Amino acid sequence: MLSDITIGQFFPGNSVLHRIDPRVKLALTFIYIVAVFIPRNWWGLGLAVAALIGAALLSRLPARLLLKGLKPVLPLIVLTSIINLFYVDGTVLWHWWIFRITWEGIATAAFIAIRILCLIAGTSLLTYTTSPTTLTDALERLLSPLRVIRVPVHEIAMMMTIALRFIPTLIEETDKIMSAQKARGADMESGGLMQRVRALIPVLIPLFISSFRRAYELATAMECRCYHGGEGRTRMKQLHMRSGDYVALLLMALLIAALFVLNTQFPKVI
Amino acid sequence: MAVIETKHCTVRYSVGTPFEREALTDLSVSIEEGDFVGIIGHTGSGKSTFVQLLNGLLKPTSGTILLNGKDIWEHLKEIRQVRFQVGMVFQYPEHQLFEETVYKDIAFGPRNMGLSENEIRDRVYRAASMVGLKEELLEKSPFDLSGGEKRRAAIAGVMAMQPRVLILDEPTAGLDPRGRNQLLQQIRAYKDENNCTVLLVSHSMEDVARVADHVLVLNSGTIAMQGTTASVFSRCDELENMGLSVPAVTKIMAQLRRAGVPIPDAVYTVEQARQALLPLLKGGADRAV
Repeated sequence: MLSDITIGQFFPGNSVLHRIDPRVKLALTFIYIVAVFIPRNWWGLGLAVAALIGAALLSRLPARLLLKGLKPVLPLIVLTSIINLFYVDGTVLWHWWIFRITWEGIATAAFIAIRILCLIAGTSLLTYTTSPTTLTDALERLLSPLRVIRVPVHEIAMMMTIALRFIPTLIEETDKIMSAQKARGADMESGGLMQRVRALIPVLIPLFISSFRRAYELATAMECRCYHGGEGRTRMKQLHMRSGDYVALLLMALLIAALFVLNTQFPKVI
Repeated sequence: MAVIETKHCTVRYSVGTPFEREALTDLSVSIEEGDFVGIIGHTGSGKSTFVQLLNGLLKPTSGTILLNGKDIWEHLKEIRQVRFQVGMVFQYPEHQLFEETVYKDIAFGPRNMGLSENEIRDRVYRAASMVGLKEELLEKSPFDLSGGEKRRAAIAGVMAMQPRVLILDEPTAGLDPRGRNQLLQQIRAYKDENNCTVLLVSHSMEDVARVADHVLVLNSGTIAMQGTTASVFSRCDELENMGLSVPAVTKIMAQLRRAGVPIPDAVYTVEQARQALLPLLKGGADRAV
């Protein structure tokens, strides 16, 4: 049950997408998120979706997996669609009491729903194909200019790495403690809301205590290996830009240019 | 009579994902009432999975588990009753302590059973003395205890439910030799006093040899051996082939036997070795004179 969460999970592989430099991949994802908001008509949106599907195919991940990752955001999409459906003015198709549905409303709702799906799918494609450690590594490199204004970039990246690293460990620990308390007859599956909240205490307290214990142990282990922050720290895996990375950047530039051109060529929908 | 039985149990983890694997394969075991069974096997052999099946923490992918002849998964609502009858002490049980006082923590199980306050008090004191926890510790916070005391308090928390079957997963891991011996003796005493069934999971052969009547050897999800402690430990070579080490004293005795010294097959504790060797040494001394 706890291990069913796929958002942010990494699936190892050796596809073109897996091999792109993580810095480039991270930058491309950010650019794509912005790019999704450029199109003003169906043609542009179609192109953005096509680009995403192309990238998904290149990742060689099973489609079922990619679609499963979209499931948790469905409520959000439904909610925004409903709001858009009723609040956009235009040609009225259907009218009842204070509710009315317009042709423009349907179009806007669909447009925005597809946009959100693109955002989520695009970012999950990044986390599916990039291991958390390389991702934070890339983030540290991309943010390193901020060091000039005294942002502790290395520390932030290290904290993220540690946090990501310990998510599976804590999930496992939670499972174990839950089993142990269930073995003593703790009832976590029935009762009202208050009862259920109270039933969590025997799980949360041991979990807190073990997290602190782990934190101390990790800190000691890091100090034993003379960890002293990011200054003068070298890396085992150096990141190098390769020709494929430049091609990916070029393709993204072309996509953005095409989106702008399509905006001028076709009438506005949204 | 068999108190607990598994029939053709198979357990698969992460079904339908690339990480799918089979932890137990078509396992059929029957544990007799009042037995003390040691369960051994190296890491990943399915020991922990097997014992979690027995008290309904895991549901088998296929197969049934019978407790006193009744399928434990027949009525989903009654699975808690099964857990009260089949008590389970996990590895590093001290990590499950959470209450303000040791007394309250030991009382957690009995309280979940819905017992009266008097009965709970009775059981807490009995369980605490069973594992050798001093009474003045009961009012302390469990987090102020020493490592060994925490372990004892956590084990007492399961013993206080007075289960018919007590399962312990590596109860002596990380304890010093003296703590180990004491704890094993206390578990044995608990079993004899309550006349219940005990399953001890361990990869310490010495522990198992010292207390168990029967031994169950698991190897990659199936039963490799089953029988009395003596009969299992007499199959020294096979155990070693499975990556398990036999007690050191058994190894020495096996070598002596190979060298031609007349020693019986099943020697697996130091005490037995002494009894086997003493007459021989005395005999040898006579000859020397």
